[in-house]
This record gives sequence, C-alpha cells and structure tokens, in this order.
Amino acid sequence: MTKTYSLTLTIKRYDPDRSARWFQTYRLDSGPILRFVDLFRRINVEQDATLAWASSCEHAQCGSCSVNVNGRPMLACELLVENAVTLFGTTVFKIAPVSVAPVIRDLVVDWEKAYERVHRAKPYLIKPKELPPGMTEHRISPQELARYEEATRCINCFCCAEACISGNRTFIGPNAAMAGIVRMMDSREKEKEERLDLLYSEEGIYRCHTSKACSHVCPKQIDVAHFIALAKEGAF
Amino acid sequence: MGKKLHIHSTSTCDVLIIGAGGAGLRCAAHLHERRPDLLIFTVTKVAHPQKSHTSTAQGGMAAVDPKDKTDQSLYHMFDTWKGGDCASDQNVVKKIVDGGWEEVQWLERKGIHFSRDEGGNISKRQFGGHTVEFGKGDALRAVFVADRTGKGIMDTAWGEALKGGSRFINTTVVTELLFNEGCCVGAVLFKVKEGEFITVLAKATVLATGGSGQVFRITTNCRNNTGDGLAVILRAGLPVMDPEAVQFHPTGIVGPGILASEALRSEGGILRNKELEPFMERYAPKMKDLAPRDIVARAIETEIREGRGIMDPDHQIEHVWIDLRHLPDYVHEVKLKEVASFFKTYANLDSRTQLCPVRPSNHYHMGGIPTNEHGEVLTTANTVVPGLFAVGECACASLHGFNRLGTNSLLELLVMGRYAGERVLSGLKEKLAPAPKGAGEATLALFTSYLEAQGKENVGLIRQEMREVMTRKVGVFRIEKGMQEAIASLIAFKQRVAKVAISTKDTRMNQELLERWELDNLLDSAMAIAQGALMRKESRGAHFREDYPERSDEFQFHTLVSMTDFGKVSFGKRPIDMGICDAKGEYYEQFRIMPRKY
Repeated sequence: MTKTYSLTLTIKRYDPDRSARWFQTYRLDSGPILRFVDLFRRINVEQDATLAWASSCEHAQCGSCSVNVNGRPMLACELLVENAVTLFGTTVFKIAPVSVAPVIRDLVVDWEKAYERVHRAKPYLIKPKELPPGMTEHRISPQELARYEEATRCINCFCCAEACISGNRTFIGPNAAMAGIVRMMDSREKEKEERLDLLYSEEGIYRCHTSKACSHVCPKQIDVAHFIALAKEGAF
Repeated sequence: MGKKLHIHSTSTCDVLIIGAGGAGLRCAAHLHERRPDLLIFTVTKVAHPQKSHTSTAQGGMAAVDPKDKTDQSLYHMFDTWKGGDCASDQNVVKKIVDGGWEEVQWLERKGIHFSRDEGGNISKRQFGGHTVEFGKGDALRAVFVADRTGKGIMDTAWGEALKGGSRFINTTVVTELLFNEGCCVGAVLFKVKEGEFITVLAKATVLATGGSGQVFRITTNCRNNTGDGLAVILRAGLPVMDPEAVQFHPTGIVGPGILASEALRSEGGILRNKELEPFMERYAPKMKDLAPRDIVARAIETEIREGRGIMDPDHQIEHVWIDLRHLPDYVHEVKLKEVASFFKTYANLDSRTQLCPVRPSNHYHMGGIPTNEHGEVLTTANTVVPGLFAVGECACASLHGFNRLGTNSLLELLVMGRYAGERVLSGLKEKLAPAPKGAGEATLALFTSYLEAQGKENVGLIRQEMREVMTRKVGVFRIEKGMQEAIASLIAFKQRVAKVAISTKDTRMNQELLERWELDNLLDSAMAIAQGALMRKESRGAHFREDYPERSDEFQFHTLVSMTDFGKVSFGKRPIDMGICDAKGEYYEQFRIMPRKY
C-alpha cells in the first residue's frame, strides 16, 4: 500500500471585499504523487470552496501557478507531495502568493502587471532582417541557435524575478532582461540599439547582483544568470 | 447579498477577438499587418495570452514545403481525408493545406526558433499518418520547435499581436453574443478579475475560445478548456457540428493526463496489464504496440474494463503500464528525454527501472462551431451569420473530420486565423450597429441566479461526477444504453447545480462564481457530445460504437446539434464536401469514400 502523508498547508489569504489578510490552515492526508494543484482542488471540493488559486495548463508550460512554498517560488503544478516533503524536510507548508505582482485574491496575482516589464522588453523582432535574395527563409545554423535556444524555453512564470535579490522595483527582472537578450543574439533582429538602451538603462542588467538565484529557482532549469552574464560582457 | 449586478460599461472596437491562443492571435496579427488603423480587442480567459493552451502542443506543425520535391499538397490532403475517416470537408482540407507553408514562412520571419538541420534550414520530422504518394512511404512534413512547437507559435503570435497594438483584455470570458437583425454586433463579457460585466460592440466578432477537454476526467487539456465557446453558441440558438467527434490519446500519464507521446511505443515501449502480459499482441497481432491511436486506446480501455488494469492509489484512476525498462540508456536519456522526464516529474518514476502508468486521455475536440472555409459561422440552414467568425479548436470547418492527425491542429489554427482575418477585412462595415434591446440581461439574470442560489451542492463534486460519467460512458467506447444513462445523469447534474450556494458574494476574482458558470458550459458541451454520439449509429474515426462497430454510408454527413433547453436537442445535417473528388483533377480517385485501413 502506498504511503500517506498528513499535511498541514498554511495558506496566505486575501479578501478584497473586506481588505482582509490572514493565514488559514488546512490539514489533509495525501498520497505521495499528488501535486500541490491537486491539493488546492481537493481543498475546494472537500473543505473550502472559497480558496482562490491560479493555474492553467498544469504541466509546467504556461507559468500561471507560481507560488511561494516555504519561501521558495515554485510551480504548484509540478510540485509532488513526496518531493516537497523531501525538499523541505517537513510536512508543514506555508504557501503565499508571489510578490512580483499585486494580489487579487488569495493566491491569485495580477499577472498583467508583472508582464508589463516583459512587454517593455519587446518580446518580438522590432526590425526583422530582410530575407537574403533568392531565399524564402533565413538560414540559422544549429550551433548559432544553440547559443540562445535555452533562453527561448522561458515561460514567464516569474519565479526568477521573485527570487532575485535585486528586488523587483528597480530591476526590470531576469526574465524580462532575457527576453531582450535573446533578440540581441538572434541574427534576424536588426534593431540592436534600442535593445542595448534598455539592457543598459537604469532598470537594466547592472541592477543584477549576480546572486544566480534566478538560475537556482528556474522551473525550466534555464541558466538565466548565464544570459545576463553574456549581456554584461556584451557577448551577444 | 452584494450589489445588484449591472453592465459596467460599453466599449466599441472594429474587431473583437474572443480567445487569444494561437488562432485568435494569428487572426489579430494579420489584421494589424493589413490594417494598422483598426482597433482590435483580444480577449482571453487566462491571465495573459502567453498562458494559452496552444503553448502545450509538443510535436510539430504539418506543412508541405514547396521546395521539397518528394512531397506535395495532394499527399497531405489525402492523409487528412483518410485520417478523418472521410468526414473532412475537402474544400476546407484543400484551402488549409495549400496555406501551410506560407504560415511557416510568416513564423520564421517573425522570429520563431524552429529547430534547424546542419545546413541551417528548417528541420522536418515524420509524424503518424503523414505519407507520400498516398500511403506509400513516410513524409517528412512536420516543422517543429524542439518539443515545444506550440509554445514557439504562441510566443510568436503573441509578440506580433502585441507589436501590432492589440488591446488585450485578460482574465475575461464571453457570456453572451449580441445580435441585431441577424448580424452579430458584439458580445457581453465578464471581466473576472475586476468582477465587471461589460458590453463590447464590434463590426466583427471572432470566437477562438479553444477546446472542451475538461468534460472528461483524464484530459491533456488545460483547466480553462471548459467548452465556453460551444455553450455560448448553443445559448444563441446556433448549432454545434460533430460534437461526438472527440479524440482520445492512448497514453496519458496518470494522474494529470499529460501526453506521453507515441515516441514511447515507436522506440520499443511495451504496454502491459496487471499480470504484466504484453496485451497488444491480442488486439493487433502484427502491429502490436504500434497500432493506430484509436486501436491502442480501445485495447487499453478493454484491459481496464475486464479487470486487468491497475488502480493508482493517489489519483484513484485505473491504468495499464508502459514498460521501457528494456530500452538502452541512450534511448531514455536522449531520444525519450522529455517524456521520461514527465514520468519523473509527475509520478516520481524512473522509466529505466520502473513501470510507468498510462491510460487513454481526452486530447482534442474535432467537432465545434460550424464554419465555412473562411471561418464564417454557419446556421443550421448552412447560411452565414454576418459578423460572426470562429477559428481554432472551438471551430469545426471541418479539416479533421472524425479523427485528427498529429500536427494538423497547429496548421489549422494558424491558417484559419489568417483566412478569417482576411474575410473580416473584406466584409468590414463602415459603421457599428447598435446593441440590441435588452443586451446583457440574460447574462445578468444568469449570474444573479448563481449568486442567489441556496443549497448544499458542491460545484467541484458535481464536476468530478460528470467527468467520471462522460469518461466511462461517452469516452473511448460508446453504446446506446450507456449513453442514455449518461444523458440521464447529465440532466440530474443540471438539477443539482441549481442547488449550489456560492459563499463569496463579491464578484472580483470570484473563483466559485466562475467555476459555477463553467460547470454550466461543461454540462452543455457534454450534453451535445452525448446526444451527437447517441444519434450516430455507426463507428467513424474516434467515435466508436460497440453496438455499431462499422462505418455506415447512411451517416456520411456532419451532425448539427442545437439545444434550446438543456437536454432538448434538435438535429440537422450538413453534407460533407467532396470538392477535390468532384473536380476530377489529378488523383481525384484517391479522394473517394474509402476504408480507413493502415
């Protein structure tokens, strides 16, 4: 028979109607391979329908369900109970919304506000390079692509921005910076000046203290700090 | 009780796009490119367009490269027609297939990071059901972005819509379509985050709301795919086409249902039951584990039904095993890296040494809102609804017929997004039409009834039961008695949901309220699926009737289901277009009605 864990989830709540903030504790027994999103769903069905939490794809591809678990930003959709118990050495978990965006209710934050920084970094080709004569597509060697391909896996879950010791008020943030860096490295982008202006601006990469917390917490295992380091060296 | 619900404001725009996944944003990007002066609203249910379900598509996007001398569009059309079990519309198949490579070029110019071959050209891979020379050999037809093609497409379409100046209205759902003298003139939206109802008037409205996978217990679909577009269409008195055409992927990972790709079996993975017997030998003695999706799905379901499945104690779902233990480390670490990592992430299993749990998982809704090849929504009488369009998974043109080929969905959403955009432009009126009298009243009455309802029922519990019933009785196997029972259960659920009390009365980010509305949409979608499946007394593509296991020419038509009151449906028929065959061009004989045998 499978193992059962007796879990204590203390969840930070917020009710906009009463402007009330409080911690609420839920206790539940769970098998080892339920995920934290499954636990939230069970809380809704079995204990408290009012608890609001965010998710969408629930397989680590959309970055909607980021929360702080015992102070560490993580995706609730891929955190298995037994892994959480191993990682934190406890069955007691304190869960809070991420702080990179205002809280709307309970664990749900206003991602739109967080995304404003990514939009400032212009996540598209500002001036796409023309196709060479006679060609219908650009040629990009696998070696060239390999230099920045890892950064294109970013799902903007903002776990890196949450963990970043530079805070999220003065620094545009690791993921938004990376959105600009990728397009500096992409040979199809002609508008490099504007990108450099942002990357070296007041909110740019020199706000980064190189703690590498971003790489440490990235759920997609992207070495975010590596890309910021490249930008600091100008090695695009 | 809180404040009385009201329409907070009325806005106007040129084009209202509801749903900002791949299809919706491709449409938006096209409109911006062609007419930068237009004001486009793009509405999405998720917190930001990048969170859309399109991002989860893995394998690739089918498109015939005109530079490739071994492949041609007619081969791709044939594969799609055959794969769909002769239920795709050939005019649509032709139009979409012909538009494929232009989309690849568009994406590439806009910065998608396609995987490349050694020469720096866009790589292509083979995918099930895609052949050259009408089944003679495998086609290299799918372009891809590693194992995250959908994400590449989503990021590109989102970037271009943002660059073009789309006004994003996020965390927002459509609750009502507005009509004035038969024309769609906009919609009523519920802004979930703000808790506000708004009216938007537009010269054209495009629905791109995605799938309905949450109708089933195990699904690869995201939490938001609750059939909202289908429900809104049904409530507007319009039909849904081929709702019974639902695809189940044979190997979803237990419990979250995440897709474990065909690659597991093509690399030599073996399905085993409780006794560890390699059971596919009994169902497909020659092809065994490599048999087509539907055959494998039915074999797994049979094993489970006959007591040879295994119960997962955590998720309380029965499954079979896929055995990958005999495969060399290289296969685990390189060729199956991503899927193997899914087993590790979601089941904490090491595929090199442990058996991994899989079972059929709902994957794709071929059926949807009926449209023509331009994405214009059609009525039961096959006439165009002026001002209303539908694209992507919520729509049914129909490219996929009764069974979708892998990589054809990404193709469809891009090409149809662009085509619908083109049609929107050609028919764009000068002036906005006014809102009809009583606009929004139905929405406000509905949401007021949710907030005022009394009782002890629970949305989550009813949803669980509904998904269980639909999976068992209207899933991989269907039989008359089971479907009648399912329909009776759906009616009972509908009565029970009226007794759900919502404790949070504030409408801002009210998850209880949203999920209550979603449950109505799920029930409407489920009812249309079940009724369509009950009516269609044959087996075709993914629709398998145990009591009618063969395809029948009597049912060589599209089902149209309308539903005025819950459970009270009326059926219509739409002929299946045979345009390629009827044109009597080159190879036209390959486009006749034929058996689907591989």
